[in-house]
Amino acid sequence: MKVLAFDSERCVGCHICEEVCSDTWFKATDVEKSSIRILDEGTGLLQAVFCVQCGECIDVCPTKALYRDRKGIVRLRKQLCVGCLSCVGFCPYAAMFYHPDQLEPFKCIACGQCVEGCPANALEIVEEPTPALTVTEQWEAVAG
Amino acid sequence: MIRINNRDEMEWEEGLTVSVLLERMRFSFPHIIVTIDGKVVPRDEYETHLIPDGANVRVIHLIAGG
Amino acid sequence: MNAQGSRRVLAEFAYEVPPVERGYTGQTLYVNLSDNTIAARPVTDEMKEKFTGGRGFGLWLLWHGVRDNTKWNDPENEIVISSGPCGGTTQYPGSGKSLVVSISPLTDIPIDSNVGGHFGPLLKFAGWDALELQGKAERDVIVIVDGQNGRITVEEAPDVPVDTHLIGHWLIEQMAEKEEDRYFMSVVSSGQGAEHTRIGCLNFSFYDRRRKAPRFKQAGRGGIGTVLRDKRVKAIVVKSPPVRGDSNHPADPERIARAGMRLHKEIHDYDDQQNRMRRRGTSYLVGIMNDYDLLPVHNFRYGSHPDAVKIDGDVWQSRFSQGLPDGCWYGCTMACSHAVDGYTVRTGPYKGQKVIVDGPEYETIAGVGSNCGIFDPDDILEINFYCDTYGLDTISFGTLTAFVMECYEAGVLDKEKTGGLELRFGNAGAAIEMLHQMARGEGFGRIAGQGIRRMKEHFVREFGADPQFLQDIGMEAKGLEYSEYVSKESLAQQGGYGLTNKGPQHDEAWLIFMDMVSNLLPTFEDKAEALHYFPMFRTWFGLCGFCKLPWNDIVPPDNAYTDEPAKIPEHVRNYVELFSGVTGREITAEDLITMSERVYNFQRVFNIRLGKGLREHDAVPYRSQGPVTVEEYRSRAERYDKQLRELLGLDPEKMTTEEKVAALRKHREAQYQKLIDAVYERRGWTRNGVPTLETLKRLGIDYPEVVAVVQKHL
Repeated sequence: MKVLAFDSERCVGCHICEEVCSDTWFKATDVEKSSIRILDEGTGLLQAVFCVQCGECIDVCPTKALYRDRKGIVRLRKQLCVGCLSCVGFCPYAAMFYHPDQLEPFKCIACGQCVEGCPANALEIVEEPTPALTVTEQWEAVAG
Repeated sequence: MIRINNRDEMEWEEGLTVSVLLERMRFSFPHIIVTIDGKVVPRDEYETHLIPDGANVRVIHLIAGG
Repeated sequence: MNAQGSRRVLAEFAYEVPPVERGYTGQTLYVNLSDNTIAARPVTDEMKEKFTGGRGFGLWLLWHGVRDNTKWNDPENEIVISSGPCGGTTQYPGSGKSLVVSISPLTDIPIDSNVGGHFGPLLKFAGWDALELQGKAERDVIVIVDGQNGRITVEEAPDVPVDTHLIGHWLIEQMAEKEEDRYFMSVVSSGQGAEHTRIGCLNFSFYDRRRKAPRFKQAGRGGIGTVLRDKRVKAIVVKSPPVRGDSNHPADPERIARAGMRLHKEIHDYDDQQNRMRRRGTSYLVGIMNDYDLLPVHNFRYGSHPDAVKIDGDVWQSRFSQGLPDGCWYGCTMACSHAVDGYTVRTGPYKGQKVIVDGPEYETIAGVGSNCGIFDPDDILEINFYCDTYGLDTISFGTLTAFVMECYEAGVLDKEKTGGLELRFGNAGAAIEMLHQMARGEGFGRIAGQGIRRMKEHFVREFGADPQFLQDIGMEAKGLEYSEYVSKESLAQQGGYGLTNKGPQHDEAWLIFMDMVSNLLPTFEDKAEALHYFPMFRTWFGLCGFCKLPWNDIVPPDNAYTDEPAKIPEHVRNYVELFSGVTGREITAEDLITMSERVYNFQRVFNIRLGKGLREHDAVPYRSQGPVTVEEYRSRAERYDKQLRELLGLDPEKMTTEEKVAALRKHREAQYQKLIDAVYERRGWTRNGVPTLETLKRLGIDYPEVVAVVQKHL
């Protein structure tokens, strides 16, 4: 599967990726609406928070709104989502986000727009092996 | 001798840690707070924290009951 | 079976589905099964302000529906189901509970039973803050609340099955046109066991999207399933429009979302180190209670057993299907409602079927397990499955079976009297057969199904049993069977069971650790304060639509450093946020207690109105207070001897065991009376347990009809 990757050595902290992301998906320039967040935790190197497509949230979702698509990307079916935000609290990377302007949470789907926009070449889309099936996917395979 | 929850008493011994005390009292409930002479002992120190002789130990169990 | 052919509409009512505003729809649904009246009734501001919702609405509606002498099986008795203003919130764990209120066939006073599943929230989203069911149908019916099309129907349903695992599936299959329809549908049903006993429960379904099957949670206590079947209702079905994150239309959604995300994160970070509720549910309590000598064994004689390890949390963890968010309402990441899949039924009419067994939860494991001397998980699953599908309360079944077993071993019963059932402790086969008899309304099961209070009368009358012995060992108060904790060493918990409105169910107060272990309640005043605060605090959950578990089955890491860790202050603040955020009514932590006090005192007065609710009715069996028998005393002789020495200045060496039993008993019974005095005073009641006029005035519930009830006793 193709996922977003971040090189902290190259990041200059311009936050353009956040702007590109929120503009792409929310038509707004607002870091709170971005699915990637650049953090300065004072370590000298900047950190980026975004979804690594691990799929843990798939098992947390009570409505099966979260699923892995054929390309391996974890996506949200908005029409099934009841806005419980369980996935936000349970994401091991704190990469599922909430904004009061909408009921459903949102996350990076590795669209690559921020890669295009990054002036420092700190972001790229890379090929990673797809993780093992989640419990939900195993049940799905059994129950049909 | 140490005093537990202002009521029970237990013989003190060399090397008595919080973990040993909990084991001996069969205090297996996970939601507990341990204080020694009024100071809270952090959970990650239970294995190592030594209880001095004569200590006033409180093992507060938070309510349970489904 | 042909669904369309077997269902005939008897009554119909069309309505416009109103939007939910700040947690309320502003109307309740009234259905009278005797004359097929269906009506919408307004929710007044007074109701919202004084009674909040849930149990409060249930009691208020029931009060106005019944007379002073209404019995459980009179047509005017009602079943009221209501969630509460916060019910249906999806963002905060444990926000989908329903409260059911009715006059109980066990206690003859109002019972309130709380339950998960989707019915309460979906009822609200279908347009109703409460459902009030009155009257009795002539023939078996189902009641359908269709909030997708704005239509209520009462339909004749003669050849629809009664038992829950059948009717639950059947109705959902019949009524869902596509898979998504199943998501927003919930069924309330009972079973054939409820028809012949007084311990009938209600099952509330929710559709499990992963298992693609309905699951069931139980409103177990007090025999409401018996009332449902007495009304000839086989099921109540609700269909709602699709649930969204804002279906409850809260005043301030962001406030709720923030609180919800905080708790989700807390559960994610700490549940594995704390109770592991997500993995084992409440079954973890078996091992804990055994360690503290609190697990009921052999009809509450003892508090632990070497075989308890065979039925503790780790065993159940291996039986539960893991890794799934088994919440009984959306967004409950506490996720305690586990299930065993693919269980093959071993006995009875469903022998050989592969079924899902919901649970077992702690109360069931302790009640039908250790308390009856049964330590085989498969026996517990068999009983759990049949209790649920027959519509029987596992707690009452467990406690009354333990009583029967002690009677059998004491010679009060024998094989002849039980019709051949050798009901000794540990005989699971006999217990299961008795369960089937209850469902068929036959044999000894029919007698046992009447509950402990009526069995005591029967055994004295028919078998010449010693009434005092039966009173001492029969673990019921107010007619309701005890839930599954040994309260002997905790005076506060004796009150936590005895000084309740509905009978001995621990959902009012569970104070054993605070009192017996932590010694945080050394004086009568301390105990009385706890027996004021905790029952009021916990009542509040049932007014709003919340579950108790996410309050203190997970705690924040810095809780230990707060002023009052037992109250979990951070979570109390969350609840204040949630209520204010949903309703737009800003409240404080203190208001929350006052809100409960109104309903709690109203319920006490309701009990008095129906001829109970006084001091004499708060009496408890001695088995809940101390060792009844010599054998029991000897099993914990060191503990009791020490108490005789230290508390009473007696020398146990110079006493026979009988004398020691008697001396301890005299002391403990006197302590309980002192406790009652202290608690009544704290609650603002007279020494006879009657809320004073001042109390009623302070709470603003001094309505003329309420004052008239208490005035007779002042």
